[in-house]
Amino acid sequence: MSSVVGMYITQGIHGLVYGMLLFLVSSGLTLIFGMMGILNLAHASFFMLAAYFCYAVLQVTGSFWTALIIAPVFAAFFGVLAERFLLRKVHASGHIAELLLTLGMSLVILEAVKVFWGTESLIITVPESLTGLVNLGLDINYPIYRLFIIVIACVTLIFMALILFKTRLGKIVRASVTNPQMVSALGINTPVVFMLVFGIGTWLAGIAGVCAAPLLTVFPGMADQMGMDCFVVVVTGGLGSLLGAFIAALGIGELNAFGVQFVPRLVPVITFGFMVIVLAIKPTGFFGEREA
Amino acid sequence: MSGKLKLTIYWLIGLIIVIILPHVIGIVYTNVLVTFMMDAVFALSINLLLGFTGLLSFGHAMFFGIGAYAAALSLTHIQGFPLIGVIFISAISALLLACIVAPLLARVTGTAFAMLTLAFGQLLYVICLKFREITGGEDGIAGYDTPPIHLGFTNVDITDPTNFYYFAFVVLGLLAFFMWWLVKTPFGSVMISIRDNAQRVEYLGYRVKHSKALVLIISGTVTGIVGGVYALFHNLVSTDGVLTIFVSFYPLMGAYIGGIASFFGPIFGAGLLHVFDELTSRYTERVDLVNGLIFILVVMYAPYGAVGLWWSIKAWLFKSKLQKA
Amino acid sequence: MNILETRGIYFDYKGLEVLFDISLQVEKGERHAVIGPNGAGKTTLFNVIIGGLIPSRGKVIFKEHDITHATPHELFRHGIGRSFQLTSTFARQTAFQNIRSVVLSRRGIRFNMWRRVDNLGDITNETDEILKKLNLFNERNFPASALSYGKNRSLEFGMAIASDPDLIMLDEPTAGMSRDETHDAVNLIRNLSEGKTMVIIEHDMDVVFSLADRITVLHHGEILATGAPEDIKNNQQVRDAYLGETEV
Repeated sequence: MSSVVGMYITQGIHGLVYGMLLFLVSSGLTLIFGMMGILNLAHASFFMLAAYFCYAVLQVTGSFWTALIIAPVFAAFFGVLAERFLLRKVHASGHIAELLLTLGMSLVILEAVKVFWGTESLIITVPESLTGLVNLGLDINYPIYRLFIIVIACVTLIFMALILFKTRLGKIVRASVTNPQMVSALGINTPVVFMLVFGIGTWLAGIAGVCAAPLLTVFPGMADQMGMDCFVVVVTGGLGSLLGAFIAALGIGELNAFGVQFVPRLVPVITFGFMVIVLAIKPTGFFGEREA
Repeated sequence: MSGKLKLTIYWLIGLIIVIILPHVIGIVYTNVLVTFMMDAVFALSINLLLGFTGLLSFGHAMFFGIGAYAAALSLTHIQGFPLIGVIFISAISALLLACIVAPLLARVTGTAFAMLTLAFGQLLYVICLKFREITGGEDGIAGYDTPPIHLGFTNVDITDPTNFYYFAFVVLGLLAFFMWWLVKTPFGSVMISIRDNAQRVEYLGYRVKHSKALVLIISGTVTGIVGGVYALFHNLVSTDGVLTIFVSFYPLMGAYIGGIASFFGPIFGAGLLHVFDELTSRYTERVDLVNGLIFILVVMYAPYGAVGLWWSIKAWLFKSKLQKA
Repeated sequence: MNILETRGIYFDYKGLEVLFDISLQVEKGERHAVIGPNGAGKTTLFNVIIGGLIPSRGKVIFKEHDITHATPHELFRHGIGRSFQLTSTFARQTAFQNIRSVVLSRRGIRFNMWRRVDNLGDITNETDEILKKLNLFNERNFPASALSYGKNRSLEFGMAIASDPDLIMLDEPTAGMSRDETHDAVNLIRNLSEGKTMVIIEHDMDVVFSLADRITVLHHGEILATGAPEDIKNNQQVRDAYLGETEV
């Protein structure tokens, strides 16, 4: 009896871990969309890029903690560059050009990663202090590292919430997500804000990338599933809605965890089927107010 | 008068080149030409939506894939399935799929259209990936017989590369001609108007949703037939080959690099991509890195692609000539 | 006979009453102008009649059909042509192609895929006739984006009348024009709307008084007065509410 309950709880936490990672990535995506109206198809590529940076930093310094700080910043730096020197130039040409540009970026990042690190899977070991299992009672022994991911995600989110609700930048971002015209009407320097938001968005994806690196191993395809799940999360939760993305991310995380257990082949079918239904019935998603 | 005669001569010369070409360039390049023709018509059908109706589809692989799978499945399971049936069933399956998705897609434009097509495309991809009893999953369906062309008095074996080239040229050429014709008709001008200003079109008495749905169905059906030709050509249909996002992206890149503002741009672009492939693959394995970089440059600096560049150069030359005079 | 009628239109936007019991009658063959100070509800009324806004109460009747919920393409098929305040021509198509799209639609050629559009001789002729009337024949093959602002506005107006509609709805046809351009536009509109029914929303008083047979004045979402231009000019209420402000 208790082993069954234990299994459920273990799967539940697995789902929570993936859901949290997913939310880290999709919160960035949804912020960028809400702010700039761009659906960044290259967003998950920055997630992957950070994982590779993590590997590179580990090779040089050997410290996972250093990598956790530096790699996402590097990813964000590239994000800012992409916004400043690529996206901004086609902003005037409309959304189709922006979509195509981010598509091109994802392709280039994918191929560039292969050039620098090859196509093999790179293994990143969990730092020693986080290896091993912890007993959660009910005979459940759970890997510490996965719990650590939940902690990191929560810390990041609290940090994000502080920025969003306590700073001037946060106020501008929240205002412009609901009403894009207002910000420029107030005479705020929107290009700089755009760049910052893009940087923060890719930084969040980067943190998720570093956290996920030891779990998934680092390989060129690691952006694929994350990218697609993230797309589903953002669309069903409502583009531009952080709360929606949070609920959808945890939902998809749990669906993955339990679905694998019971209906393994149907998980992606359910995910995408669900998204199609949401888009067909309510194109703004569950919590979104703006249409894409 | 003489202009018309000239045009006829040009067409004749072109036709002769097309007929002779496979005997000159050899089997390898004949096969490259066939893939080029498939890419070109695929790109044209995508451009029917993108360049002429202003709709960006990220999920055209679904039509390509369903056409290819319909062809492969019927060839595998039905004894003596004829070639004309392959084309027919590819068209019908893609047409049906398009009719299912069109009512939903016709309601939206812009980013939402791109997302919804992507979602439908991914849905079909994962379904085919997971139901491997029917589709073979990643391994796909292979080893079916390729039926010959029945010409009454004789049968033409299209497993011969040269014969396949002629067959593909006829089928794909007809599709290209059909699309070229379409954009010159009154309906074609409605498409262009929807691209320019859908709201105005609605106030001019046209039903924009119906028109968009129809363009999507036409474009999807054409893509489905290309998928059928693909199935005949490769003798292998797998999810990775016909349904992944890259199957949608590649012709999209071709269309954009060639130029979406003109009808022939996508053909040119598909050709350019093949040339880039040919050149870069001699130096590096990372062909797509070069393609991606070129694509980014085109999106940023040449929104009307190579054809647009050519137009600007022509305009510039013309201007400088005028100034000299 | 009234060709267009609004019956007791109310419209509120998020609890704010914008239109208040608007009952407007437009007779067949008259040129009717709706004027009013900023925020009087002119544009809202225009959009309730044909712009897809659904009134919270009341009906819009056109030729004895209830068109309150009609879609834009249904409005066209009932015989209503409209212009847009922000020029909405097809920028990348020529002036000829712009007008032709209207002519094609009027003839019901909307889904034809078996004829080349350039080979439809009578369509071409009819389109050219309209271009001549609009003084746009010389610019026939220019894309709309290459036309001057004034010419583009003529084209915009042309697309409203090219279907020979029973009712022409014009939304500030001279907005953003210079004095000369306005003068030409008013002449063009006057000549081409001779004997037609037209409803025009306009800011510019000179334009209104030189075009309209009858004028309705809106003020704070209500009809203040309706009548011939002379009556409106002399109406004390109107003067107080509106004309006084602009010192006409």
